[in-house]
Amino acid sequence: MFPDLRRDVIFPFGGAVALFALFAGIALSYQALLGTGSAERLVTVMLIDAIVVVGIQIYVGNTGILSFGHIGFGAIAGYAFAVLAISPTEKAKRIADAPFGLDLVDMGPWLALAIAVAVTLVAATIIGIGLARSGAESGAVAATVITLALLFVTHEVARNWPEVTGGDRAGLAFRIGGALDSRIPIFIALFVGIVTARLFAQSRMGRLAVAAREDNLAARAMGVNPLVQQMVALLLSVAIVSVGAALKVYEDGSILPDDFFFDFTLLTLVMLIVGGRNSVTGALLGVTLMTAGRELARRLGQDGFEIFGIGLDEAPLDWIFRENLQTVFLGLSMLGFMIWRPKGLLDDWELDEWFHRRIERSDAPAPERLSELDSAADATLTVSDIDVRFGGFNALTGAGITAKQGEIVGIIGPNGAGKTTFVNVITGMVPATAGEFSISDGDGTSVLTKEPSFRLSRRGLVRTFQNLRLFGALTVRENVEIGSLVARQGGAKAALRDPDALIAEAGLWEHRNRRANELDYGNSRRLELARAAATAPTFLLLDEPTSGMSDSESVAMIEQVRHMAATVGAGVIVIDHDLAFITGISDRIYVFDQGTVIAEGTPDEVQNDPHVQAVYLGSAAG
Amino acid sequence: MLSLLQNLIDGLGRGSIYALLALGVAVIFGVMHLLNFAHGELITVSGYVAFWALGAGWSWWVMVPLIIVTSVATSLVIERVAFSRVRGASDFTLLLTSFGVHFVVSAIFLLYVSASVKNFSRPGWVADTFSIGSLNVEIFDMVVIVVTIVTLIGTTLLLQRTMFGLALRAAAADFDTARLMGVKSDSVIRGAFALSGFLAGIAAIFWLMRAGSVQPSAGIDPMLKGVLAALIGGLASLRGAVLGGFALGLAEVFLRSWLPDSIASLTEGVVFVLIALLFIFRPQGLIATATAERV
Repeated sequence: MFPDLRRDVIFPFGGAVALFALFAGIALSYQALLGTGSAERLVTVMLIDAIVVVGIQIYVGNTGILSFGHIGFGAIAGYAFAVLAISPTEKAKRIADAPFGLDLVDMGPWLALAIAVAVTLVAATIIGIGLARSGAESGAVAATVITLALLFVTHEVARNWPEVTGGDRAGLAFRIGGALDSRIPIFIALFVGIVTARLFAQSRMGRLAVAAREDNLAARAMGVNPLVQQMVALLLSVAIVSVGAALKVYEDGSILPDDFFFDFTLLTLVMLIVGGRNSVTGALLGVTLMTAGRELARRLGQDGFEIFGIGLDEAPLDWIFRENLQTVFLGLSMLGFMIWRPKGLLDDWELDEWFHRRIERSDAPAPERLSELDSAADATLTVSDIDVRFGGFNALTGAGITAKQGEIVGIIGPNGAGKTTFVNVITGMVPATAGEFSISDGDGTSVLTKEPSFRLSRRGLVRTFQNLRLFGALTVRENVEIGSLVARQGGAKAALRDPDALIAEAGLWEHRNRRANELDYGNSRRLELARAAATAPTFLLLDEPTSGMSDSESVAMIEQVRHMAATVGAGVIVIDHDLAFITGISDRIYVFDQGTVIAEGTPDEVQNDPHVQAVYLGSAAG
Repeated sequence: MLSLLQNLIDGLGRGSIYALLALGVAVIFGVMHLLNFAHGELITVSGYVAFWALGAGWSWWVMVPLIIVTSVATSLVIERVAFSRVRGASDFTLLLTSFGVHFVVSAIFLLYVSASVKNFSRPGWVADTFSIGSLNVEIFDMVVIVVTIVTLIGTTLLLQRTMFGLALRAAAADFDTARLMGVKSDSVIRGAFALSGFLAGIAAIFWLMRAGSVQPSAGIDPMLKGVLAALIGGLASLRGAVLGGFALGLAEVFLRSWLPDSIASLTEGVVFVLIALLFIFRPQGLIATATAERV
């Protein structure tokens, strides 16, 4: 059951502490081993990069949206910090004409940092609204371009607004009485960043965001509104990136437009993807590897090293070991990983999850069987006169059904009869051109026609998909938990059952820790059913639940569906073109043909209806 | 009125180059669903070739075929080395692959040439103008507009009248179906990269004539213009990409003349903001092509 205090809070926190200690330990031992000033500097830079990369991971990893804009947010934070923190005497030399009296502002660096983060969060809110409006989802191209536009706008503004930024070349020589003289703030920020990233990923918000990353449509169909999660992820992510950026400026003692542009974007993105963007552990691994690799490439390209008596800066090796080798290294790393290992070295592997799996008993007994609910609730779904037109084609004309909670209603019809379109309408995925549908229960009648799909599913209309839409990278257990996470938003319901018990009911207990995309077809179907049941639906809408199954599997599915629906006290609307399955499972049947209902009744009545026989058997209609 | 006409010509001249770049971006997006952040590298490579060839004393007339050949060849090489290996990968992977190509190409020039700007001579007539009444028209703008129109007509004929064009349009509309109908994905994709390289080559000639210089990061600016213009037009639509290019060129020129002097230097920033707003209110771009996800 979520939240599992150990799995979702204690272990991630412990894992974050361990990661932080490991990472800082490696960095500090490198420094101690070399003991040089340049090693010290390298370690400081790496620690700050790690803050930024962990920050980016929160957004990119959990939402799957590629952002080029986080370094743009970094620029906003960096400049805001610099302008506020520099002493008025320094400002009088550099930016005497600053508007809003900024040149007179005199405040300590930590207040400046807080304000810089706040300013950047305002910018992030605006961009976040824009991203939401653009229909951001995993891999969305428009969203990525909006973030790229942000990066360019901040760069342009930084270059062309010298009254505040000091312009293109001068930089804000940065003296508040010395640059950052202790690493403690950096360590604190990094620690907070890692803990935030891990706890967010395991939180309710984080899990729903990941569900939407895996399959946006399926997540919405289960009642998730991904835009909420994306916004929260963005704000958390930007807050951490801005702290990192401000610390970078503080440490460098200056800021130039190019400090927060393409090169830094490339560096942080490479660090993120090499280790694995879906994992905090991966992000930190990437920071370590890329820092080491880049430093090695830089040194090999620069100094006159000799290996086995051959100088690296002489023929035949001089064409490789040249100055700026590190930029080629970064570019090739990105390209190579995208081509051969796009999910990075670790994919979504997390230290604490691995440890949790190690100590969790794999032979835990299955939970007790669930009793079927003696449903007192009796909601009625009424769908009337639905028209759907695609251009000139009438997919549905005046189609309507009624269904009661606790009853199984079948919809059957040949291909193209409009069955799936009908389900799409009542789950908010296709707008009806005309018509209305509503749910009535003890509390009255609510018309649902114009609601978006995530609201319809929260209202109890939950569907499965003909072509199976599971959250592939998540485990069986996580898939089902998403369902109950959504359901619990609406408060306690009798139909809200323990996800583990539902997994057992679906016969998936032994597979509970496997990823959904590793399951065979029949188990995938059963998982989708269990996941839908976990949302405590009023009505389950099943779109061809037996498609691709053998006859014996179809027969078994009848029992599965009946039992699962009774367990959560839901009504079922099931569509299929398999006559045997539909007549075997349904209490009542509607027959669709060419977008209209041509018959309605009990299985017997429908089977004997001459219209139906005409459609199905091609005999002359009476 | 006069300044309006002046701006119109300037904007169309600028927009022509953007249109050629955007069309190249859209052609590749059509066949691979790849938003090519490496498109500008065709101009970078062409620029260095022009720098060496002009330095060796060759004339700008030789540059024209040389740049086009360079651009087409570079486009095909990039496809072979990088993009052919990520066909069908997720959008995330495709975006970062093209971003990676951009960095590798510019880093190679950084490594083997230098970070500094390399200047070369521009043809003498680039800055020449002629007058119609009190209107000053740059010869360059007129040449760009005319060549672009001819190129676009040629491209249209190619797309409408040849088997390759039909295959390419079919692939852009629905790649899977096109493949089932017998369109060879390999040759269509390579053809698309060749066409995209050719269009970028024409754009490169004018871009370089006007810039007169090249540096490792020279590709960023044209890439951005091409990608943004293609996005304005709706990415999936080839006609939209051309319109997007002209719209972007006109928007830049008109904004620069309308904005108050104090923020005129921020024109590009303002254009970005406008484009971001466009995406926010019309995520599909100016020309929306309806594609619903099948459920």
